[in-house]
Amino acid sequence: MARYIIRRLLQSIPLLFIISFVLFALMQATGDPLATMGGRQPTRAADRERLSRQLGLDQPITTQYLYWLIGNDWVVIDPETGRTGPRRGVLRGDFGTSYVSRQPVLEMIGGRIPDTLLLTGTAEVLILAVSLAVGIFSAVRKYSLFDQLFTAISFVLYSVPVFIMAYSLIYLLSIGLRRAGLPYFPTSGIFDPAIGRTFEQVVWHMVLPVLTLSLISIAGYSRYIRSTMLEVINSDYIRTARSKGITERRTLFVHAFKNAALPLITLVGLDLPFLLGGAVVTETIFAWPGMGYLFINSLTRSDYPVLMGILMLIAVGVVLAQLLVDVLYTVLDPRIRYS
Amino acid sequence: MRFFRTVLMMLALVAVLAAPAQAQGKSATVSWPQEPDTLSPLYTSMTFGGYTYQLYLAGAWAFDNALSPIPVLVSEMPNLDNGGINADGTVFTLMLKEGLTWSDGDALDSADFLFTYDMIMADGNAVGSRSPYDRMVSVEAPDATTVVITFSEPYAPWLSLFSTVLPEHVLRPIYDADGSLDTSDFNRNPTVSSGPYVFETWEVGSFMRFQANPSYVLGQPIIDTLVVTFVPDEVAYVAGLLNGDSDLGTFVAFSDVPALEEAGLKVEVIPSGYNEGWYLNTSAERAHPAMTDVRVRQAVAMSFDRDAFNTDLNYGATFTPHSFWENTPYANPNLSPYAFDQTAAGALLDEAGWVDSNSDGTRDKDGVELVLRFATNTRGIRVDLQAIAQQQLAAVGIGTELVNYPSDQFFAGYAEGGPVSTGDYDIAELSTAPAAFPDPDTSRFLCSEIPSDENPVGNNSTYYCDPELDALLIEQSVTTDFEARIALFHDIDAKLLDAAIWIGIWHDADVWITGTNLVNAKLNGVNPFWDVQNWDVAG
Amino acid sequence: MSASNRPVRLLGNEEGYAKGSNRALKRFLKHRGAVVGAILLGFMVVYVIFGSLLFDEAYANFNNTKLRLLPPSADHIMGTDNIGRDIFARTVYGGQISLMIGLLAMVVSVGIGTLVGVVTGYFGGWIDVVLMRLTEAMLSIPTLLFLLLISNIFGGRVPQIQFIGRTFSGSVVVIIIIIGLTSWMGLARIVRSLVLSLKETEFIIAARALGAPDYHIILSHILPNIVAPLVVSATLGVGNAILAESYISFLGVGVGAPTATWGNILEGARKFFEQAPWLWVAPGLLILLTVMGINFLGDGLRDALDPRSDKAV
Repeated sequence: MARYIIRRLLQSIPLLFIISFVLFALMQATGDPLATMGGRQPTRAADRERLSRQLGLDQPITTQYLYWLIGNDWVVIDPETGRTGPRRGVLRGDFGTSYVSRQPVLEMIGGRIPDTLLLTGTAEVLILAVSLAVGIFSAVRKYSLFDQLFTAISFVLYSVPVFIMAYSLIYLLSIGLRRAGLPYFPTSGIFDPAIGRTFEQVVWHMVLPVLTLSLISIAGYSRYIRSTMLEVINSDYIRTARSKGITERRTLFVHAFKNAALPLITLVGLDLPFLLGGAVVTETIFAWPGMGYLFINSLTRSDYPVLMGILMLIAVGVVLAQLLVDVLYTVLDPRIRYS
Repeated sequence: MRFFRTVLMMLALVAVLAAPAQAQGKSATVSWPQEPDTLSPLYTSMTFGGYTYQLYLAGAWAFDNALSPIPVLVSEMPNLDNGGINADGTVFTLMLKEGLTWSDGDALDSADFLFTYDMIMADGNAVGSRSPYDRMVSVEAPDATTVVITFSEPYAPWLSLFSTVLPEHVLRPIYDADGSLDTSDFNRNPTVSSGPYVFETWEVGSFMRFQANPSYVLGQPIIDTLVVTFVPDEVAYVAGLLNGDSDLGTFVAFSDVPALEEAGLKVEVIPSGYNEGWYLNTSAERAHPAMTDVRVRQAVAMSFDRDAFNTDLNYGATFTPHSFWENTPYANPNLSPYAFDQTAAGALLDEAGWVDSNSDGTRDKDGVELVLRFATNTRGIRVDLQAIAQQQLAAVGIGTELVNYPSDQFFAGYAEGGPVSTGDYDIAELSTAPAAFPDPDTSRFLCSEIPSDENPVGNNSTYYCDPELDALLIEQSVTTDFEARIALFHDIDAKLLDAAIWIGIWHDADVWITGTNLVNAKLNGVNPFWDVQNWDVAG
Repeated sequence: MSASNRPVRLLGNEEGYAKGSNRALKRFLKHRGAVVGAILLGFMVVYVIFGSLLFDEAYANFNNTKLRLLPPSADHIMGTDNIGRDIFARTVYGGQISLMIGLLAMVVSVGIGTLVGVVTGYFGGWIDVVLMRLTEAMLSIPTLLFLLLISNIFGGRVPQIQFIGRTFSGSVVVIIIIIGLTSWMGLARIVRSLVLSLKETEFIIAARALGAPDYHIILSHILPNIVAPLVVSATLGVGNAILAESYISFLGVGVGAPTATWGNILEGARKFFEQAPWLWVAPGLLILLTVMGINFLGDGLRDALDPRSDKAV
């Protein structure tokens, strides 16, 4: 097992390097970070030249990539004063500073991660809990009214684009409630700054974005769990368990569920990139200060250091999480063995 | 079932608990549609960065709501009589008020001005722009309340000098230690203030909070706490203004104005120097061959009904400008924009030799079809305008190819292949203003600013060169006499209109919305917070 | 998707194949949802094709700002948009583009996914290692972020295209390619694992021992047996592609104006969603119904074609 883990980790290193170089090259092909540095005015010529030199953008792309990777504190960047560069490079933990805000990239991203996880993590927990409940219930009470109703509803919900869901929820639960004179859910930010970041404020602001994210996935997951449960329920070993006299509840939750859990973990594993950076549309609509929102803002400003930081961190996070999922497999299913 | 009951109960609990509490003291909320990139005047490249740092940093003077300068840190505006400006307009002497202090009690004096100049010019600082400090020969501080600035030639746009002053006692040690102010924490957490408010906190992604500065030179603000929130989604932004979450907002689209007015909010359209216009490319090498003919350009201007567009899509909230300097004394009041006249446009095109010889609906000449490349970015209203203009120009036989670039590509520089800079367009639509508004000086139409491989940083994206116009433009930048300068600009305006290289589409003033809770807020497009110490809240 | 270890029944002879497809058809028709899905999709196709007989493209693009934001009426049964264009006509022509993007993007992604899956599964070795790492790399990047990045790069530089009598923005081709390039990974993995287990069956081992060339084995024996997941994946892939296009158009980096798609009509409706709901209800509903139909259909196909599935719905 340990050897397997180490081997996987080693295999992923060249992978990460390749991803980083391809992304870096792609981004250089896109816009020009200096274009928007003048604010509403186009960047002045003299300033553009100077900024290009000061930010290291006048170097060829391979050099820029090298500096990004291992820093430029071993290079003299200002021949007049003999000053060396300030960056230590990604391999030493320095992701550089944002072109836009001059803040260290790790600090910027680090500040956003908790809020993103708050949103997507809560949504994921809600999705899993509700999908399991609905899926199992539907499977056990096959063809009941509940089952038919939920199947129909989930087909509809599953097909709704995220922003339509968001706007429909805003229309109903924010504007609608406000017009009816009832307390209504807010539509932007994490909390009302006049009140402060209290627990109630955060929860109140989380309702609409979490619902937006969850409803669609609940529809999809619950159906998948239902079908997996059905497969498992009708299988031989469950019939054996029942005939042995094990209670229905124990049968369901211990035996059936454990086997249904495996594919579920695959799904959650596939969702991991989403957890960190994928809720872009939702975060933008609800002005939720997370990673996806930061990505969009940085994209329009061609803020390469931040974009690279986000993408690389997500990539690393996913590689590690996939490994975790695979290891969990062996725990849950003793039949699976890795050499 | 039990599970769902529990969920419902939890939601109900949340609803009960989340009743909002009241804040202490007088408080007002301003919302921006974008979060500033930094609080430092040296590094910000965003309009909202530019507005927000005015809350905690004062400058030599500010502009009131008629855009006239009022002294803030100086005791009176420099002019020829009080010795503030010398006879040939090259030396400016600023006389500071006595006893000025920063919020921590340290003296605010000429040393801070000198320091500001040093920091802008320092090579270790990757500042956004050095203009106009890079034109100064020297800045001296003969005593604590006098600053002497010397230029090599008369400098007409001098009102843009020292719009902010940095605290030397706080930043000099940082600069000496790091060799640069680029990454200093002060950029995001300024610890001292000379402006009406003192910075308190910045919750990245959500808001900033400021507290009134009792030692502000123009008096302690009435409103104790000012909160600035950031709401990027247009729909949520307007909703926040409508339901009173925010007391002041700006940059809403003209199309949102009716709903806001209906709700009883105060809507003001305030000029900021910007005008949305079509730049017409006159380059013989890079533009369509028809574009070098002024008659074709004039025909383009006459084929699109700009007034109808402004009435219908801008809700009549703005109008068609004729001048790059519309709504300032520098625009020539005797001129008006090209009228919408498709017949006359067709006649001009016929005269220029562009007729539809092969009956395909588009004019042509010498085998070349008259299809113009119309480029802009992806903003909704511009995309809509392109569709409308395409139809109207087609009615006159002018074909158009519509292209939309993401902003960072559209505005990219010459070296990066940006379409505007490299002249890869025939019509480009963007909103521009003179660089140092309210000063009218601009370099956009100078012959020396035409971009090329030898001059990649050129600013003249219409590639237009007229020696007479050039002479006038150069002369105005060294003319400090107000009346004489206005006369020069009236000539410049007339020449530009005849050349038809810049066609005004709408006067791009900023829409500012004031909520019913905010009282006595007088705004302008350069210093919205010039009078913030006198704002008050109702009830 | 389910990691089942049961052996796959090979359909190696003509008769068995015909009987198998009859059985599949019967199962399909029994699945109520699948029939509903097929009907919905049929309706969509009729909508975009016959709609274009009612109006021509010039009418769909015809704007008149004096008639803007009109609610549904006899003249304009779905109302008019922000610059006075008829929404019904725009959804017809927009639907053509959206459906075309969905189909062609699916073709790209199924093509790449099958190719990668078969090659890695069948040949193994270093090509397997390299391509599998590539697949993992692509899976590590959130799709939407990657889509946004690439759309941003190629915005504005592609010329217009003439196709089937219509002229539209070249960005359509760009979008098709990039959606295709970002959605093949799931199918590649499924195909790979199927091919891996197929490779070990006696039939294939025998064929190889007899000296049959690789391409023959792949074409005649492997491909027919992976048709089931391919068809299901292709069907669902169309739905995902349509949704993906609507997301990137909504965020402003999708198909360029004036070419309409359901996604970019929705983007234009963003500001008016409270005051002019007909702007987004119509295209939103159309996307919803199309994707729903596809999901129903895909579900039915999965049940019908997958002989291992013993769940009746």
